[in-house]
Amino acid sequence: MATYVLMFVNDESFRDRSKDEVAEVYADITRWSEDLERKGVLKGGVELQPTRTATTVRRVNGTMRVSDGPFVESKEHVGGFAMIEVPDLDEAIRIAKAFPGGVEVRPIVVH
Amino acid sequence: MAKYAFLFIDDGVDYQGSPTPEQQKVYADIFKWFETNGPKITDGGAELQPTRTATTIRTRGDKRVVVDGPFIEAKESVGGFTIFELPSKDEAVALAKTWPGYGVEIRPIREA
Repeated sequence: MATYVLMFVNDESFRDRSKDEVAEVYADITRWSEDLERKGVLKGGVELQPTRTATTVRRVNGTMRVSDGPFVESKEHVGGFAMIEVPDLDEAIRIAKAFPGGVEVRPIVVH
Repeated sequence: MAKYAFLFIDDGVDYQGSPTPEQQKVYADIFKWFETNGPKITDGGAELQPTRTATTIRTRGDKRVVVDGPFIEAKESVGGFTIFELPSKDEAVALAKTWPGYGVEIRPIREA
C-alpha cells in the first residue's frame, strides 16, 4: 500500500455558480468522501478557506517576508487536501477521477 | 484557537536527490522545527514527492482527462502541508517566519 495526497484544484468558475449548483457539488464531494471512508481508504483531509484569506511568508535575501495572498497568483489554486491509502497510482487516479473537480495526485515522502 | 493549514513552498530544490551540505542542514533544521512545534500540530499532513511525480486530473467538456505533471507549472510549488492549532493569525505568521525552509502559505481551515 502507498499513501497519496490529493490536492483539490479550485478555479474561479466556482464563484459564478448558483447556490444550488454549489450545494450540489458539495453533496457530490460528501458522497465521494463517505464512500472512501467506508472502504477505509481515506486517511484524513482538509478544506481550505479561499485564497483571499491566505498569507504567504517567503525567504527573500535571507529574511522572511510576509505578503497577503497565495504563493502563486493564478486562476487555479489549492482548495484542499485528502490523503488516501491505496495499492498503487492507478487506483489513486481512479479515485481522483471520481472526484467532482480538478485534482493533483502526488505520492508522499516516507521517512 | 483556530486551525491553519501551512502549505510549505518548494523553490525547486530536490532534497530527495543529491542535496548540498547547506540544503542538508535546512532539512535537518526542518526536522527540529517539527519536533519543537509538535504540540501545536493537529494533523501532521505529509511531505510530497517532487512535482515531476504529479498526475493531474481535470474536466474538459464532459470528459475526465489525466495528464502528467502538477496542475500549475511554476518555479514554486506545494511541497507539503501540516495543520496547526493556533490562537490567532498573527501567531500563525510568527510561527511561519521561523520555518527553516523557503516559504509557507498560511490558509485558515474551513471547519465542517
